[in-house]
Amino acid sequence: MPNTLRVIYSAFRMAMLYWMADPQWIIPNVIAPFVFTAVAFTLFNAYEGSSGPFGLYAVLGGGMMGMWGNTIYSSGFAISFEKWQGTLEEVMAAPSKFIHVIAGRSISNALFGLINMVAVFIVGIFVFKISLGIYDPILFTISLLLTLLSVSALGLIFASAFVLSRSAQTLTNGLETPLYIISGSMFPIALLPFWSHPLAYILGPTWGIDAIRLTTSQQYASQTFWTGMGTNSALFLDLTVMILITAAYAAIATVLFKMVETRARTMGTLVEA
Amino acid sequence: MNNLRVFVSSAVFSFRAQFNWLSPSMWLTMKFVLSFSQMAFFVFVGIFSGGGASAVSFIAIGNAMQSLSWNTVFSVVQITGQDKWDGTLPLVLATPANRLPLFVGRAMVHVLDGLVSVAISFAFAAFVFGVNFAHADPFALAVTVLLTSFTMAGFGLLIGGFSFHFRNPIVFANIFTFILLIFCGVNFPFSALPRLVQPISYAISYAFPLTYGINAARQAINGASLFNISPILAEQIVVGLLSIAMGYLLFESFERSARKTGKMEAQ
Repeated sequence: MPNTLRVIYSAFRMAMLYWMADPQWIIPNVIAPFVFTAVAFTLFNAYEGSSGPFGLYAVLGGGMMGMWGNTIYSSGFAISFEKWQGTLEEVMAAPSKFIHVIAGRSISNALFGLINMVAVFIVGIFVFKISLGIYDPILFTISLLLTLLSVSALGLIFASAFVLSRSAQTLTNGLETPLYIISGSMFPIALLPFWSHPLAYILGPTWGIDAIRLTTSQQYASQTFWTGMGTNSALFLDLTVMILITAAYAAIATVLFKMVETRARTMGTLVEA
Repeated sequence: MNNLRVFVSSAVFSFRAQFNWLSPSMWLTMKFVLSFSQMAFFVFVGIFSGGGASAVSFIAIGNAMQSLSWNTVFSVVQITGQDKWDGTLPLVLATPANRLPLFVGRAMVHVLDGLVSVAISFAFAAFVFGVNFAHADPFALAVTVLLTSFTMAGFGLLIGGFSFHFRNPIVFANIFTFILLIFCGVNFPFSALPRLVQPISYAISYAFPLTYGINAARQAINGASLFNISPILAEQIVVGLLSIAMGYLLFESFERSARKTGKMEAQ
């Protein structure tokens, strides 16, 4: 196995083991998206003045929010935890690149966020009686995995900023809901003010959730630039844009980590920051 | 006099302690970002669901009132977590101070902090989401917000007292801050909940002082006077005081158990 992959895998495995050793930490990470989804389900049921694919929005949006919440929260916590334990210096001094360590953790965090999707599926089916089917399971899985990677890559950018901040965890709390809104996790981004649309389009998961919805229902029409196109064309374009954005995130995160690491070493503010 | 000093010290220190994990500028930013983003999220979901202006108003007011739970529940429970995490709990329990003012004082500055959160949220509701405050009775609304903040701090102390018995209080801080969104009529009336969970949710909702507060605030915004909403507020005060008493009993039972077993942070 190439060295980079081995480091990412080891960090992924360590993060998994941490979670399993103390599984109660899953609760803070998934409670917000889970409750937000339950409220959305109820609101969709309460107002009958509109017709639309509400079940689809609520279930997939809830799963998406779970990935978001877990990744953002954990990106902040991964750094804070190292600072509290006094192990950040050792991790950064190791010959492995710090970004690869955080990448492994970020992927494991997004994967744990999927737990929320399962919980939301169960509640949607048994409590809210929503019938859900997946139109193309293979493309659904591919879209979901690529979205997971995109969320993880964005988590890397956040993590690089969190190295320098004492308030990393607080920042994560503040970022969570704005990202749910801007990425259109629970409603079409067309409802948002026009000035916020560019912000939505630079988020990989905005394209990811659109692709996931396309693979789930034949009735769903793309909510990004591909309105009016066939499902397959829109799906292909959604995934292509998301892959490009994810690659850009990874490149930006690499540069940021290098800058942050250099600054922290020069200023001696690694833990005190 | 000594008890008053303990009460004031406990109140001031518990508020200052949160700046151990939060810088003042971040505290201010969070006040605006959290209040606005949560309200905006649910307002947009309401609009997408087909709810009109009345739904937007219902959701905005509910979320404005719920915003104080971040101060009065999350932050108050977090004090327990911080005491355990920082290893200061044995020092607190070793002091000869009277436990009641020590325990209750912890939540009191957060009551004032909660008022600031609601004021900011009401401003967002009025100026961004167009909630009409023209008919509101300002005095009735101010009393409602104050009592809701106080009684919710009592609820925070109850959860904080309960959390003493567990290793990770932040888990409870999260659960009890968020489930208020479902059971207190923040975003929808109880009748909107699935029939399967309605009987349980009715029972649960009246254990939360926020339920009464939101109901009273909506009526005050629609023009009801303090006299009109006083029965709701009386019920709210009873629930709030019961919460404080139960929280204190839980705190005492934790202290007894900790002295007997020698377990404090590890529980």
